[in-house]
Amino acid sequence: AAMAKLILLWLKCVILYNAVGAVFEDQVGKFDWRQQYVGKVRFSHFDTHVQSSKKVLVATENNVFAALNTRTGELFWRHVDKSGPEGNIDALLHHGQDAILVVGNGRLLRSWDVNVGGLNWEIVLDSGSFQKACLVGQQGTVKNVAVLKKNIISLHYLSNGHQKWIENLPESETVDYQTVYSGGNGEVYALGIVPHSHVVIIAYSTDDGEIIKQISVEAPWLSNIVASCAVIGQGVLICVDSATPSLYMCDLHLDTHDLQMTQIPLQSLGLEVAPDFQPVLVSHQPNSAHQPLSEFFLQLGPDNFLLLQLNNGQIVTLRDFKPVRNLFSILPTSVNICQNVNVAWHPCQNILFPQTCYCKIFFINLFSAETGRRLLDTTLIFVMDPNGGKPEKIYIQPFLKKDDSVGYRAMVQTEDHTLTFIQQPGRVMWTREEALSDVVTMEMVDLPLTGTQAELEGEFGKKADGLMSMVFKRLSSQLILLQAWIAHLWKLFYDARKPRSQVKNEVTIENLSRDEFNLQKMMVMVTASGKLFGIDSKTGSILWRHYLEDVPSNAAFKLMVQRTTAHFPHPPQCTLLIKDQDTGLTTLHVFNPIFGKKSHVNPPALPQPILQSFLLPLMDQDYAKVLLLVDDQYKVSAFPSTKNVLQQLQEMASSIFFYLVDSSQGRLSGYRLRTDLSTEQIWEVVIPMEIQRIVSVKGKRPNEHVHSQGRVMGDRSVLYKYLNPNLLAVVTESTDTHQERSFVGIILIDGVTGRIIHEAVQRKARGPVHVVHSENWVVYEYWSTKSRRNEFSVIELYEGMELYNSTVFSSLDRPHAPQVLQQSYIFPSAISTMEATLTEKGITSRHLLIGLPSGGILSLPKMFLDPRRPEIVSEQSREENLIPYAPELMIRTEWFINYNQSISRVRGIHTSPSGLESTCLVVAYGLDIYQTRVYPSKQFDVLKDDYDYMLISSVLLALFFATMISKRLAEVKLLNRAWR
Amino acid sequence: MHLWMLLMFLGWCFTEMEAGPGAAMSTQTNGDRFKIEGRAIVPGVKTQDWVSTARVLVDGEEHVGFLRTDGSFAVNDVPSGSYVVEVVTPTYRFDPVRVDITSKGKMRYARLVNYIKTSEVIRQPYPLQIRSSGPHSYFMKRETWGWTDFLMNPMVMMMVLPLLIIVLLPKVVNTNDPEMRKEMEQSMNMLNPNPELPDVSELMTKLFSGSKGSSKAGSSSKGTRPAAKRR
Repeated sequence: AAMAKLILLWLKCVILYNAVGAVFEDQVGKFDWRQQYVGKVRFSHFDTHVQSSKKVLVATENNVFAALNTRTGELFWRHVDKSGPEGNIDALLHHGQDAILVVGNGRLLRSWDVNVGGLNWEIVLDSGSFQKACLVGQQGTVKNVAVLKKNIISLHYLSNGHQKWIENLPESETVDYQTVYSGGNGEVYALGIVPHSHVVIIAYSTDDGEIIKQISVEAPWLSNIVASCAVIGQGVLICVDSATPSLYMCDLHLDTHDLQMTQIPLQSLGLEVAPDFQPVLVSHQPNSAHQPLSEFFLQLGPDNFLLLQLNNGQIVTLRDFKPVRNLFSILPTSVNICQNVNVAWHPCQNILFPQTCYCKIFFINLFSAETGRRLLDTTLIFVMDPNGGKPEKIYIQPFLKKDDSVGYRAMVQTEDHTLTFIQQPGRVMWTREEALSDVVTMEMVDLPLTGTQAELEGEFGKKADGLMSMVFKRLSSQLILLQAWIAHLWKLFYDARKPRSQVKNEVTIENLSRDEFNLQKMMVMVTASGKLFGIDSKTGSILWRHYLEDVPSNAAFKLMVQRTTAHFPHPPQCTLLIKDQDTGLTTLHVFNPIFGKKSHVNPPALPQPILQSFLLPLMDQDYAKVLLLVDDQYKVSAFPSTKNVLQQLQEMASSIFFYLVDSSQGRLSGYRLRTDLSTEQIWEVVIPMEIQRIVSVKGKRPNEHVHSQGRVMGDRSVLYKYLNPNLLAVVTESTDTHQERSFVGIILIDGVTGRIIHEAVQRKARGPVHVVHSENWVVYEYWSTKSRRNEFSVIELYEGMELYNSTVFSSLDRPHAPQVLQQSYIFPSAISTMEATLTEKGITSRHLLIGLPSGGILSLPKMFLDPRRPEIVSEQSREENLIPYAPELMIRTEWFINYNQSISRVRGIHTSPSGLESTCLVVAYGLDIYQTRVYPSKQFDVLKDDYDYMLISSVLLALFFATMISKRLAEVKLLNRAWR
Repeated sequence: MHLWMLLMFLGWCFTEMEAGPGAAMSTQTNGDRFKIEGRAIVPGVKTQDWVSTARVLVDGEEHVGFLRTDGSFAVNDVPSGSYVVEVVTPTYRFDPVRVDITSKGKMRYARLVNYIKTSEVIRQPYPLQIRSSGPHSYFMKRETWGWTDFLMNPMVMMMVLPLLIIVLLPKVVNTNDPEMRKEMEQSMNMLNPNPELPDVSELMTKLFSGSKGSSKAGSSSKGTRPAAKRR
């Protein structure tokens, strides 16, 4: 028995060794790249406690807190919290080298060390919905942080997070406490409001939380403090009312009980409010240990800003920024020596560019807050990307130049989540496309052929027109090839003479062309913000971007390649389907995937909600695949809908079937197309909603090829695979979530006939279920509630020892039900997503690519998930190379295709075949994007990159010389013998 | 319908143990929340160098904790239940630990993760002390080419050793010495256990050259073989 075990172990080792697709150390960064993102910025602070600091802190809507390098835009460090509302960052406060975050609707308070990127402390706050947090200073130093919630105010030490005091807010049922303020004088003010009645002001002592005073002020015109009030100067609350219209002021320090708000009509200042505009007040407190500035902004209209000053109880207008379009709440005075600086920016010019695209140039200027005067030489130009969105926010980093004048850099955030960092006078230092942190779907498109390649291709494509012309054509194409080769050699020679640093191999849209193995492709990525990107898969550089402005926030996207680059004079064409998930209304965006330009083809207007869309293998006369759209009246429309297409559709109609899934009703139904483009329902499967709900429906990938029809068994017979291209895997989860009764179900349905091929139920299991459906197998992963572990299960379908109809598969004519094999395994980790590798012809063995929460992407050979793995090893199973069954699958770090380049929150893995059968291109996307190549069966069709040319040539040479020498020696010997 | 169902279910009896931490876990949704505390250590490496890339994952990404600058951590807001706690960094490997929190949150204990025998308990200290077992090994070793590998190859050895014998042996042994020759002849005879049994090569020569002089060839070849090489 021990011997048998040993043999088994040995066998396993051999198999493992052969199956691994690991990375070698010298391949790092050779075929792969990673880009790290943070997401749409919500809060941002420049680290200013050291003059030379290069950090900018960002807290984003993706629950990420990170420090970026202001010189390069790269990450210093990044912390990715739980996604969803529990990791939501509510506030970011920055003091010295600490950054304080309020997380999860005021549930957690965290302090980070900005330099190291490590956590200082984390504490749990009492429950209650978060309102506002602020730093509290006393005698010039900031030592505490105050957190205001709906009914509680608490003060914490900055050094360790311990609670200094906590107080219940009085009358919190009626009063809506909205903001907290501290002017650095030992008091913390909580400001609350009873809408349209009065404002409540409570002052707490910083030392012990004792209420120093509690005042209520009549303000029947006020409904929201945050929007229309601000605290300025020495604790003066100033509010604006659009109805009267006037400013209201009251001093928080006055200790009278019948405090009144003094009204200052805007007309007395000579100001007017734009109609239907809610005025906004913006103030700035540069240091929490000191009082805010007595200057503040008042926005009276969409492009009307005023800089006002409170001077001895009087409000003075310092400057009227009439033409300013967007002025933002920026009054940074962060460096103490710096004079107070305001920043305004305005679009002054609209320039019409030659390509008729409408570009905008923005000017950013610095103004002195004390005087309202513009500072000289502080203009910064920001040119809006014509393919980007409008600017949304601006963050300013001021600094003192050597000659004591004020310099600054600006970080501009635009609607398409792009961050642009600009230096004076307008040099873009870096841009970060944060939209890429939220990739929804993607495709990989072959690059176009170069002119010479196209010429060669054309030779075979065109019709023969006589022998002589054919010969000439052949000769001319050979000449072109020769020319190209000589040019290539010349370039090599020329480059070799130049120093290496000067040789640039930059990829631009102009010199894009397919490489000889089609390993370089265009990655077309669609992001949730509605921005489309074209990325070169080899280098990761963004070649084009296009921002779709009117994309609804809850849109679902579907990207389809209608025409590839293979049909040369016709440009490639992609169609993006954008569906509003609430209304179901759909728009189409048709574009060229190589250049990102909108196509001239006009997509049809779709007035009805669309239920289903799919590409047919049919092509119109311009080689564009036909896209069928099914609306809620079950009417079908085609795109493109030329006469040719309609005619083809009529001929093919009887063999076009499609299915619809209504997960809210638990209904799956199959339809057939009629010749008049109406439809008829042919089957329906209802999954009872009371017991289980449909989680996902997975078909097979249309571009998948299966090379071998069967598997050769140990006894030399063949077990044929059940390769039904119409098979759907329907995953259901029980509505009962109790751990004893919950289950996960999987149903295999033929999409044409509605016949249920197989049904399996995993008891005491729950989701999330990840499914991969390919060839003749379905792999799914679920959580076993009984054993509290993740489990994999694999279902394989076989026709048996004979094939029913080996030429064509028809769902309508398959009388025999397939044999079903199933096996389950334990997986020692949770998984984020799962996909199978895909190669050109399907000869290469398959691997499963599994995204793990730790950030690794595991390449697990499919042979480990094989239901024919025997429990007892026999001669036959050994012959078949089956691995003996072991309950637990292993995670070996050597199988991580991304080695230490971990990818946060992997949401999807896209696999695409390359021109080499052995090679599969992989793109993993989530918060980060990672691209690499995998070789599931090693590189069997090309020489490996470590192939030793030196050794082989030296051996050849040595052998050659050895034969020469030995020949000579033999001659001498023969001669000598003849003489003897 | 012939249906093969190789549905595996593990043979180990699963016995819910010690007041069932599992039973309490799923039903409690808005009950008390507890925290998991511990410390991660990478021997010989300063904590500042690796904490910024590290996270503490509880049951995948169900709950996330971060490491303090001294390597300690606390995952807050965890309801009672049984969890797998893992410290994740791209550079260092940490073994996962299972932590059970009872419904009252009082008794927490840690144990080694065993997915197969889920009821097995090997106690670990609590608060957790997770020590790194070294850096991750992501890379395969390249097959390097060296002279020793080449020479130690069995094929090469099989080729080189006979060559050495052929070349060196005649030099060492003086075959012209008649005594020596006799000795060798004897040893050759010893080697051939059955002189009656014909050699394969002889058989072939016989077959092709016909029957003439067959007996002579048999006797002479034995004697002259070492000498023939020298001629």
